[in-house]
Amino acid sequence: MGKYVDRPRYGCALGGALSLLRAIPRAIPIIHSSTGCGYNVYNGINAGAAYLGGGYCGGAALPSSNIIERNVVFGGEDRLAEQVEKTIEIMDGDIYVIVTGCMVEMIGDDIYSVAREFEENDKPVIPVSTPSFQGNSYTGYDMVFSALVKEYVEAEEEKKVCKVNVIGIVPGEDVFYKGNLKEIKRILGLIGIDSNTFVGEGETLDNFKGAGNASLTIVLSDVYGVETAKVFEEIHKIPYLLTGLPIGYLQVENFLYEVGEALNIDNEVIEKALEAEKETYFDYFERITDIYNDIDLQRYGIVVADANYAPSVSRFISDELGWLPQLAMITDFLTEDQKSRLESRFENYDSELKPLVKFDTDASAVKKYIRELWPADQNERYYDALGPGFILGSVIERDFADEFNYPLLSIAFPVTNRVIFNRSYAGINGALTLTEDIFSLLVAGR
Amino acid sequence: MAEKSIRQIAIYGKGGIGKSTTAQNLTAGLVEEDNQVMVVGCDPKADSTRLLLGGLHQKTVLDTLREEGEKVNLDDIMRKGFKGVRCVESGGPEPGVGCAGRGIITSIGLLERLGAYTDDLDYVFYDVLGDVVCGGFAMPIREGKAKEIYIVASGEMMALYAANNIAKGIQRYALKGGVRLGGIICNSRNVEREYELLAAFSKELGTQLIHFIPRDNIVQHAEIRKKTVIEYNSESNQANEYRSLAKKIKKNTMFVIPKPMTGERLEEILFEYGLMDNLEDDYRI
Repeated sequence: MGKYVDRPRYGCALGGALSLLRAIPRAIPIIHSSTGCGYNVYNGINAGAAYLGGGYCGGAALPSSNIIERNVVFGGEDRLAEQVEKTIEIMDGDIYVIVTGCMVEMIGDDIYSVAREFEENDKPVIPVSTPSFQGNSYTGYDMVFSALVKEYVEAEEEKKVCKVNVIGIVPGEDVFYKGNLKEIKRILGLIGIDSNTFVGEGETLDNFKGAGNASLTIVLSDVYGVETAKVFEEIHKIPYLLTGLPIGYLQVENFLYEVGEALNIDNEVIEKALEAEKETYFDYFERITDIYNDIDLQRYGIVVADANYAPSVSRFISDELGWLPQLAMITDFLTEDQKSRLESRFENYDSELKPLVKFDTDASAVKKYIRELWPADQNERYYDALGPGFILGSVIERDFADEFNYPLLSIAFPVTNRVIFNRSYAGINGALTLTEDIFSLLVAGR
Repeated sequence: MAEKSIRQIAIYGKGGIGKSTTAQNLTAGLVEEDNQVMVVGCDPKADSTRLLLGGLHQKTVLDTLREEGEKVNLDDIMRKGFKGVRCVESGGPEPGVGCAGRGIITSIGLLERLGAYTDDLDYVFYDVLGDVVCGGFAMPIREGKAKEIYIVASGEMMALYAANNIAKGIQRYALKGGVRLGGIICNSRNVEREYELLAAFSKELGTQLIHFIPRDNIVQHAEIRKKTVIEYNSESNQANEYRSLAKKIKKNTMFVIPKPMTGERLEEILFEYGLMDNLEDDYRI
C-alpha cells in the first residue's frame, strides 16, 4: 500500500481499453468519464506508442460523455445515453463500446442498463467497466477483450483443429504490436496453423466474431491476456497456452514445438518448417560475425522492460548474440505468482549465464541494481567498470544511459524517440530487425 | 455470475424500521424448510447477520480487503450461521471517510469473482441500509442481481414517505430492466388502523401487503440474546408469523412495477386512514 511509482510505463485501465479499441477497425469507443480523460490518455498512448495516432475515432475525436459536477451529483446515466445515441448517429462503426473512467464508477453509474436501452440498435453497444483504480493499461486490455469475448464472439460448438487465437500483445503498450502479430502469424502458418491475431494487418471485427471455433488460445505473455484466455476457456471451451513472446530462432523453435504439442502436430512437420527458417535466419546473422569479432561487439546487456519483452530479449542477447546479460528489470505491477512464473523464464540459458532479475516499477531503481551487481568506482588506481554496456529499455532509461555512456535502444513503452509502423522484434524476422537495430547503434559512429 | 434459478431478493425500507430483523427472521423461516440461503448485508454498520450468526460478523468483506489486500478467499468473508445459512457483510469505510457506495459495488463484485453464487443456492437476500443514497446502494438491484424487492414499512408517516421514495427508485430500475416490487411487509408499530392504512398504501402503489407482522416484545428479547425469534422461541406466535411471511414470499407470484404516488396523494391516504380522524387532540400513545 502507498507505493509510489517513479515514472510509470503504462497508462490507466481506460488507456489500455482505448488502445485495444484503437486497434480494431470500425470499433467506436464511447468514454463515460469526465472531461479530459480521453485526451490525456490519447496523449500518453500516442507518443509512448511511437506515434500511433488517433485513427478514425480516437485521439482528440473520441466520443465522451464529458461529465461534470452536475452529473456526479445527479448521476451521469442520462448524459451517457444521450452520448451513445449521438455517437451512433455521427460515427460510422460496426460496434460501439462504452468504457468508463474512475468517477462514474465511484458514483455507481449503471452503464449496463444504459447499454440495454440500445439493445435494438443494428450495431451492438457493449458496455465495459474499466475503472482505473482496478488496474493499469494492461488490465484495461483484458477488461475490454474479455467483454468482447463474452458479448461479441459467437459461440461455435465445432472447433477447427488447426485454428488458434493469438492474444497477449497489447496494442500500443507493445509499440511493435502489428509487426509482431504479423510475424507470429507467419511462423504459425509455417506448420499449418491458421492464426487469428484479432488486431493484426487486415484483420477486422469478423476476426473477433469468428474466434469461437479456434481450438487453442496462444497467450504470447505470462501476464497480459491471461484473464481473456480464461474467459475463452470458460465460455467457448477453448484451452489456452502461455508461451511468452518468442524472439530469435531458438525461442521460435521452442515455441513451435510447444504449440505443436498442444495441437498434436507432427514433429516432422515442425522440423521441416524450421529447417528453411534456420537457413535464412543464419544466412543473415552470419553477416555481422566479422565485424562482431573484429571490433569486439560483445556487450554487457541491461534490459529494462515489461513482462513480455524483458525475459525474451534477455535470453536473446545471451543465447543468440553471445552477450553478457547483467540485469533484467521487469517494470510491471505483478502478483507473486506472476513473478515466480516470469522468474522461471530466466532459467537454463544456453550460455549458462543468468542475469540479475528484478521486479521494480521505478525508473531510478536501475542504478541501484547496477550497484548491486557491480562494485562502484572507489577511486582505485585500476577500476574495472561495467562496460561496454548496452541498454534495451524505454526512453525513460535515457538519463541512465547518458550517465553510464551506454547506447540505448528503446524497445518498450514509452518509445517517444522513434516512429514505428510495421517493424517487429518478435519471431525470426523480428529478431533479425532487432539485431540490425542493436548493431546499427554500435556502428553508428563509424 | 449468478444463475437464474437463484431467487435474489433485496429488502429496503426506512432506517430503523426493522429490515435486518425481518430479513433474518424470514431467512430463519426459509432455512428451517431446508432452503439454501445467503444473506448479504449491504450496510456499513455490518449488523445485518447478527441474529443469524449469534453475534456481529467479525470479518466484513471490506475489512478483509483492507487488511489482506487482494488475496481474499471466500472462507475469509463468508460465515455459516443458523442451520447453515451463509452470511456475508459488505461492511464499509469508517464513518465520515471514503465511499460506502463504492464499497458495496466492490464487495458484490468480489463475491461474484470468488464464486459465492453457487448453483445450490435457493435464495440470496440483500439487506440494504435505509436510504438508497447513491448509485452504490442500488447495486443489489442492478441487472443480474436481485430481481425481487420487498419494502419494510409501518403505519408511521415517515416510514411510508420513505417507502414511497424507495418505490420511485425501484420504478426507475424496473422500467429499464427486470427488477420488480414483490410487496410491502408491514412491521407493525401498533398505530391505529395500521393494517388498513398499509393495505391501502400497497394498493395505491400497485402492489400487495404481503404480510402484517404484529408487534411483539419477544423480538426484542431474541435480539438481546443475538438470536432470531425462530431460534429463540420456536413455538411462539411471532415465530409463526415469520414462518408465514417466508411461505408467502416463497409462493409469491405478484411482481409489479410500482406506481409511486405524489406527496399530496400520500398525505390524502394518511388522512383517510390514519392519524387524523377521531383522534384530534388525543395524544395518548
